[in-house]
Amino acid sequence: MEKSILELRGVDHVFTMGMGQKMKVLSDVNVSLYQDEIVAILGPSGSGKSTCLRILAGLLRPTDGQVLIQGETFGGPNPLVSMVFQSFALLPWLTVFENIVLALEPFDLSRNDERSRVRRVIDLVGLEGFEEAYPKELSGGMKQRVGIARALVMERPVMCLDEPFTSLDVLTAETLRAEVLKLWLSKKTATKTLVLITHNISEAALLAKRILVMGTNPGHIRVTIKNDLPYPRDEKTLGFKNLVDRIHDVITQAIIPDQPEWVPPAAAGGVIETVPPVAVPEVIGLLEFIAGRGGQADVFGLTQMLGKDFGHVLFLVKTAELFDFVDTPKNHIVLTDFGKRFIEGDVNVRKRILHEVLRGLRLAQLLEQRLRDAENYTLSFDSVIEGVKEWLPNENAEAVLDALIQWGRYGELFGYNGDTKMIYLDVGQENA
Amino acid sequence: MYNYIPLKSRFSWADVVMLACVGGLIYAVIGVAQHWTGKFQPTLAIDLSPWALPRYSFFSLTRALVGYTISLAFTVVYGYVAAKLRRSEAVLIPFLDILQSIPVFGFLPGLVIGLMSLFPNSNLGLEIACVVMLATGQAWNMTFSFYHSLKGVPKDLVEATSVMRLNWFQRLLRLELPFSAVGLAWNSLMSMAGGWFFLTVCESFTLEDRQFHLPGIGSYMAVAIERGNHAAMFYGIVAMCAVIVFVDFVIWRPVLAWVQKFQMEETESHEAYRLPFVMSLLSESRLLSRMRAWRSRRRRERKLKRAMKRFRKGSRKPAPSSLLRGDPLFALASSHLAGEGTLSDPLQPLELQKEDAFDGGEEDGGKFVRLGRYLRRHADDFIELGAKLLPPVAVLLTLWGGTRVWELIRTLTLEDWKQIWRGVGFTGVRVFGAVALSSLWTIPFGVYVGLSPRLTRLFQPIVQIAASFPAPMLYPLVLTVMFKFGIGIRWGSMFLMFFGVQWYVLFNVLAGASSIPRDLKDGFAMMGAGTLARWKRLYLPSIFPYLGTGWVTAAGGAWNACIVAEYIQYNRETLIAPGIGAMICRTTAAADFPRLAGCIIAMVIVVVVLNRTLWHRICELGETRFR
Repeated sequence: MEKSILELRGVDHVFTMGMGQKMKVLSDVNVSLYQDEIVAILGPSGSGKSTCLRILAGLLRPTDGQVLIQGETFGGPNPLVSMVFQSFALLPWLTVFENIVLALEPFDLSRNDERSRVRRVIDLVGLEGFEEAYPKELSGGMKQRVGIARALVMERPVMCLDEPFTSLDVLTAETLRAEVLKLWLSKKTATKTLVLITHNISEAALLAKRILVMGTNPGHIRVTIKNDLPYPRDEKTLGFKNLVDRIHDVITQAIIPDQPEWVPPAAAGGVIETVPPVAVPEVIGLLEFIAGRGGQADVFGLTQMLGKDFGHVLFLVKTAELFDFVDTPKNHIVLTDFGKRFIEGDVNVRKRILHEVLRGLRLAQLLEQRLRDAENYTLSFDSVIEGVKEWLPNENAEAVLDALIQWGRYGELFGYNGDTKMIYLDVGQENA
Repeated sequence: MYNYIPLKSRFSWADVVMLACVGGLIYAVIGVAQHWTGKFQPTLAIDLSPWALPRYSFFSLTRALVGYTISLAFTVVYGYVAAKLRRSEAVLIPFLDILQSIPVFGFLPGLVIGLMSLFPNSNLGLEIACVVMLATGQAWNMTFSFYHSLKGVPKDLVEATSVMRLNWFQRLLRLELPFSAVGLAWNSLMSMAGGWFFLTVCESFTLEDRQFHLPGIGSYMAVAIERGNHAAMFYGIVAMCAVIVFVDFVIWRPVLAWVQKFQMEETESHEAYRLPFVMSLLSESRLLSRMRAWRSRRRRERKLKRAMKRFRKGSRKPAPSSLLRGDPLFALASSHLAGEGTLSDPLQPLELQKEDAFDGGEEDGGKFVRLGRYLRRHADDFIELGAKLLPPVAVLLTLWGGTRVWELIRTLTLEDWKQIWRGVGFTGVRVFGAVALSSLWTIPFGVYVGLSPRLTRLFQPIVQIAASFPAPMLYPLVLTVMFKFGIGIRWGSMFLMFFGVQWYVLFNVLAGASSIPRDLKDGFAMMGAGTLARWKRLYLPSIFPYLGTGWVTAAGGAWNACIVAEYIQYNRETLIAPGIGAMICRTTAAADFPRLAGCIIAMVIVVVVLNRTLWHRICELGETRFR
């Protein structure tokens, strides 16, 4: 076995939020990086991909566990790692040349040496003629080229790329992706290993030799998928398609398992199901979309057609499933009769149905009970949050309560005054 | 960059102006130096002839600029420490809040007595005291601005520089200072105005029944007002205007144009500063362009010489670092880099790391060079040490200062305290009155002007200059008008405060009104909303957050201004309005330090408590409700 350059060993990370609330974002992450490979870290938002990368780069110190360079620890930013940012992170007051040469400032180089090094990376990424331009004069694709050139000029063995193509339009992203791959294949650079964060499955499949699929709550590595397809890869080949399907399956399993880990709320005694942090209109939109396609769709097709992040679409599906609006056998989504009734009804019908569904949710029941016990059926947001933390110790209580209030408002179960931050029971419906 | 050098006309008008400026500057600097080091003359007779004014103006300008330089240095150091040393923040920021609420007379006795005993035989002590007092009117808002900028540097930019392993100084120079530049520039402009405001009291004051006059426009105006010499007052006002316009054109416009470069996004505002007069003057100058051409030729020659020398030596390989050879981590890094090598690469692999920039061989360099290298290499250790030492030092200093102040105010009786608090009450009413008065005219006017980009462009430079003019110099005029209407000094001093602080409200209302989005305005117009509805639903809610900031600054300014508004020596008599400001003036003049300390403590408490409660709530409301 080849020796690894860089290693994350048993890394845990806990963020302390406001008011001392703690949130575990990474749990027992183990990653080894070897020379001459591209590793993609793939996962839905909230799976701690970015935190993972920042720990690797030495920008964050893990709460527990170690980052090792050939078995040795280090302090401060990782000396072997350069980084490319989603937002480009260029200094707007420096020209392209000055932005790149900034990365050489810690080295005591002569002007000539600096100049020729910068020239060379500018040449590699195709920025000739733009040396004197300011970032604001450049398109997104050109900006990211500067970001890549700046990372290359440092000649670090490992380059971390944090969703480098996400802020670019589709065509530019595709071009730049191909160029990065070509550059890596050409072996002209001192950087031999790329670590790429993405939520785009085909991007991971196109570039990576190894794909680490991350799961949420707290973030952890679910599966490592090896990808030995020869470069350059073609999206139309059967091998590629099979690989993408496999990745899809893994991610789908992570978010909506076939064997539900949760018990339907009505029957639930002890288990309390959380409310996913998605917006009401989005779920309704999803249902409308499925209804418009004969009441059936598959998850991947849906993602492509909606043009949204795969993980996010899965959250939407999960929410619809929580309310029994859809069934999800394997990768398919089927509208239930109940879901049909909901989607065919007018606004008032929908509200009534949602009202009933919510009253069946354990979490909503608990909150309702609390409000009934309270004076004027009213409680402050802050006092309810304490309860939510008790009920769901592993969740981000504020996000859950925000979602619950949002759903409750739509289903006319609860009301909320944003100015006073008070939640109250919506008694209008009962009186009527 | 090669410059075009014209062959025929060797000089242009711009060169004449420039040469005259340089000559004048040299003459003036010599004059200032002679005065500062000259024989001590505390009670200088102020010459009220208008011909004395150019010299006085230059002296005042020098003081203000030196004071500004001190403020800037203070800002960078204090703001940086407060933002970077985590534990220091909790001490330094509240302390800054206290500092900014101490009126200038709070610093005066200590500074003047201390510095005069340090330099008993020259004017230097008195001059330094005056400059530092001016700086106390300038520094604080700049420091707050810099601190907030440092805290607000975008996270990705910080991470990018961390990955590059820039050291703290490189990061300050390349990232933090440029990012703060826009805020610092606008606050510098305000600071300068703040300095001018107290020019009269900083240049001429009474301490222990001794009159001090330093040569300057402030003293000139003070004497003219005291004697009721209307002609001299007029000359003084003209000279002050000239100085302010001069500074605006020569310093602020070029600076504001230059900092546009550091704007995070391209915005359309402040376009009026695109081509400042001074910049076009400099680019017109043939002399300067010749100098540039000469310099670049020299540089090319030097480069050629160096290249020849290297060629003869036959080597371009940099010496490997002695420090890092033993470090396994970096050895590993460089072996990775060197290993497969970068084919087709004529350059040496980058193997020198961070610390190495300071490691050009241990042996060479003199004592100071080596010391400097040592300090830089251990900068982070020193910062760490500082962070550890700061809290105990702060506690000790507070204890020491506390006991000294306690010794001072122990002698005060209950009756004294009652008087002090009554004074604070009177002044407080005036402060709120002044802020209310300011809002009364600036809100309608500011909204009217701010809604139209054309009017905003027209008015902004005018308002900028008007706001810089020190209101105390206009007090005699205001008083004369007020006495005509039968308003006494008790209420009159409220108007005087109002004259000083209205600009803060106006500036913010203007900013708020010009930030109302176009589509909202159009939407209201299409709905056919009446004037009242527009004000209630659109204008007032839109400007409220800005108005909050304006009120806070104006109230702070009004508290500080009470010392010039409640105690005025005009036309050979002293006009006194009961209040804390007048008490501070009287106790300073009589050197009644226990009472002075009591007054200042009371005022600081009130200002800080109001800031933390009332104003904080209003700002918070603006942020949450109306954003």
